[in-house]
Amino acid sequence: MERWVVVTAIIGIYLLATLLIGLRAGRRSSHSVQGYVAGDRSFGLLVMYFVTGASVFSAFAFLGGPGWAYSRGAAVFYILAYGVIGMAPFYWIGPRVAALGRRFGYVTQAQLIVGRFPSRNLSLLIAVVSLVACVPYITVQMRGAGLVIETVTEGHIPLWAGALLAYGIVVWYVLSSGVMAVGWTNTFQGIFMVVIAWTLGLYLPIRLYGGIGAMFEEIATARPDFLVPPGLTGGGEPWSWGAYSSLILVSVVGLMMWPHLFMKAFAAKDDDTLRRTVILFPTFQLFLVPVFLIGFAGVLFTATPLQDPDSILPFMIMETQLPALVVGLFCAGALSASMSTGDALLHAAASVVVEDGIRPFRTLTDQQERLLMRGLVFLTGAAAYVAALDPDSSLVLLLASAYGLISQFFPPVVAALYWRRATTAGVLSGLVAGTATAVLFWLNPGWKPLEIHEGILGLMVHIPVLVAVSLATRAQDPAAVDAFMEAA
Amino acid sequence: MSRRTARGLATAYFVVMLLVVTWPGALPFARVRPLILGLPFSLAWVSAWILGSIAVLWGVDRVERRHREDD
Repeated sequence: MERWVVVTAIIGIYLLATLLIGLRAGRRSSHSVQGYVAGDRSFGLLVMYFVTGASVFSAFAFLGGPGWAYSRGAAVFYILAYGVIGMAPFYWIGPRVAALGRRFGYVTQAQLIVGRFPSRNLSLLIAVVSLVACVPYITVQMRGAGLVIETVTEGHIPLWAGALLAYGIVVWYVLSSGVMAVGWTNTFQGIFMVVIAWTLGLYLPIRLYGGIGAMFEEIATARPDFLVPPGLTGGGEPWSWGAYSSLILVSVVGLMMWPHLFMKAFAAKDDDTLRRTVILFPTFQLFLVPVFLIGFAGVLFTATPLQDPDSILPFMIMETQLPALVVGLFCAGALSASMSTGDALLHAAASVVVEDGIRPFRTLTDQQERLLMRGLVFLTGAAAYVAALDPDSSLVLLLASAYGLISQFFPPVVAALYWRRATTAGVLSGLVAGTATAVLFWLNPGWKPLEIHEGILGLMVHIPVLVAVSLATRAQDPAAVDAFMEAA
Repeated sequence: MSRRTARGLATAYFVVMLLVVTWPGALPFARVRPLILGLPFSLAWVSAWILGSIAVLWGVDRVERRHREDD
């Protein structure tokens, strides 16, 4: 039997298993919005651990991580540096958010913010910013899935068909089972990703160089500056400390503000589950180390540099003559990374648009709401897919600034939970000013001082505006603030 | 240990961690050698802080848990 047929068969089995798990998961939840969006607040530790880990680590970590290690050297260490610092505050914030969710029935981030700062415009703004940040992210996940399938089947399944197949399945189970499908498939996919990453990450350096230390000795001798932070830019020039440091900072601030991660606080069974998820998260984070090793193994392995560094992982797999079984399993691991983030994003984007963009303006029954969410899962998926087919799509470029937008949700969340004097006008004007600043610098990268990330520049405007306008406007009704704060 | 002290120490840990992985705190550790367990020094440096964070979070949880039981 030909190699690619074996590989395709393994991918087929993996996709089928994922679909079955996703469809079965829906039987556990109620037929309500609470069930579809927050899983009736029933996620235990196992599911929370993997849903958090697997949603954080996307096709970007699994393909882009080795790609960065291969082409940009030490620059890749930034991905490792921010996760744990970004997650830690959730040990305290998570249970407060969950308590408010139980008390007032919140299932999205905007509902929580608007619960404290009543404004339909604020709700709509958060929905729009979330959607603008999520769609390009989904697009990148789809391209990643398509790229992997195309490479390991030696072109027999082209990118468009691979992406369509993988995401057809994602849309199917998200439509059918909502967040329960996301939770249970991510558990399956998370286990897959971690096992594959550690196995390959340790195997390749030993096979090609005789050991991890030997590999780094060789790289350090051939390219002395390659392994020293902040590493290189995409073009191979030395990268700046300003860009490296501010990317870590914006990622720390933005990480848990992603709707698909933040909203999981509403899905957890109880507070201890949330806290333990945070405590255990660093163990998941460390799986990036072997992922980087795979990319570093390629540095001295390719005679001429690859056109697309992100394909270094599939390239290594194909070139090192691994058995077809291993290639198939690897492919399933990479698909897991892509699909586990893509499904969570797709589900979150649709939920946010309906809950925060439409419901404040229109009265909907629970049934209409679920129907509308399903329609939007399909539409968002279709839009992202169309963009995924065009490699020069401006949507993909937009991803570079997704963190700049998402990090602007941090001040409103903190103000809602911890600052009694904050007012609706302050939060709304801060969010508008911060987002506008981030977009302005993203459009004009030459204006950025010290190459600081546009999200950080946005926050530098956002926070003073939020504070100043809050203090300049009349304080909120103390009774309303107390009712909110006491629940938290 | 009081809840306040535990929270303060944990916060301090993560603030220091942020400072030593970004400019200028990262400068003294931005080097390849000595290799630690085969990894470049700066990679091992970040990994060690991640491992340490498990202990810090576990420790703070023990204190918080005891106080929650007392409440």
